[in-house]
Amino acid sequence: MKSPSASVLPYVDTKPVGSADFYFAVNATFRFILGRLGREGWIRYLEEMGRGYFDPVNRQWSRDGLAGLARYWREFFQAEPNAVVNVVELPDRVEVRVSECPAIKHLRAGQREIVREYCQHCFYLGSARAEAAGLTMRLAGGNGSCCHTFAPAATGLAPQDLQQIREATS
Amino acid sequence: MIGCYDFCGHYEWTFGWMERTGGHPLVRDYWNEAINHDSQRHARDLIRNEGIPGMLKYWGHTLLEESPDLGFNISHRDDVFRIDFHDCPSRGFLLKNGLKNYRDYCDHCMGWTGPMMAEAGYVIDHEHSHQGQCWWEVRAASATGGHSPVGSVAGDKDIRLRPEWPKDPAKLDRYNKANDPDQKLK
Repeated sequence: MKSPSASVLPYVDTKPVGSADFYFAVNATFRFILGRLGREGWIRYLEEMGRGYFDPVNRQWSRDGLAGLARYWREFFQAEPNAVVNVVELPDRVEVRVSECPAIKHLRAGQREIVREYCQHCFYLGSARAEAAGLTMRLAGGNGSCCHTFAPAATGLAPQDLQQIREATS
Repeated sequence: MIGCYDFCGHYEWTFGWMERTGGHPLVRDYWNEAINHDSQRHARDLIRNEGIPGMLKYWGHTLLEESPDLGFNISHRDDVFRIDFHDCPSRGFLLKNGLKNYRDYCDHCMGWTGPMMAEAGYVIDHEHSHQGQCWWEVRAASATGGHSPVGSVAGDKDIRLRPEWPKDPAKLDRYNKANDPDQKLK
């Protein structure tokens, strides 16, 4: 078990790795919100979660900069079952290179119908979190492998092209 | 990315968001439609097809994954399936991390298992203390039993035997033969 002082993850558990079946609930939650509240409602949900629930992380990123952000993502993916991820620290940005997305992998293994917008959640959530920390986030790829880029707002990353985010397939 | 290591945290946050966005009806529909009918459809299928043996398979697997320290106890007979949570992994996560965005996180269990059990022909007797401790008894809807005497189903694992289990009924949320989160008796 990680103690709060030893981890940069804001919330700690007695288990070193989460239960993958919870990805079923995340996917089902997206389907429910998209069906009831539409795409705008779903984006609002993600952005408000990014600014609200993740506020402790955002403040940490703001305080610790890119090095703290890189450490966060390394620890985050260590706690996600079967994730294959390389977090690369470059001079002006951090790239979170996901070779095997644990969520997409488990949803497919569980023969779940994945909402096609699934991968976009990383952008809307990540972007809101980054903005709260004075950073910019961009996403490329998806459907099982992707790259998240985080950089200080002053770096001037090109605007997000949503066409760069692949639809998820079951 | 929304992860699973802190699932209970953002799941609880979502209840509060749903209530602010669409009121209590949206939260109820979320538990039933998204959790019972979609996310946990494997539980629903098992229990509808196999009854109490299906409950054993589902919770035996799920609780071992969520609570490897065995903060729970499962008991069963032909006529009743019972779980005693001594240290609920889900509520425990919120308590340990000081998270609260919804008025009663524990309601989500009745929110999705209540309708699931109704569809399978069962009703639920239940009490929770809000402190990560609760008990559940599931019986056929036609059964006459309910709220079994302390220790009669779970023996010395009955949570009601623990010294910290509230003696004041006002500190417990209670359900009798229920299938709906709003059938709560205080």
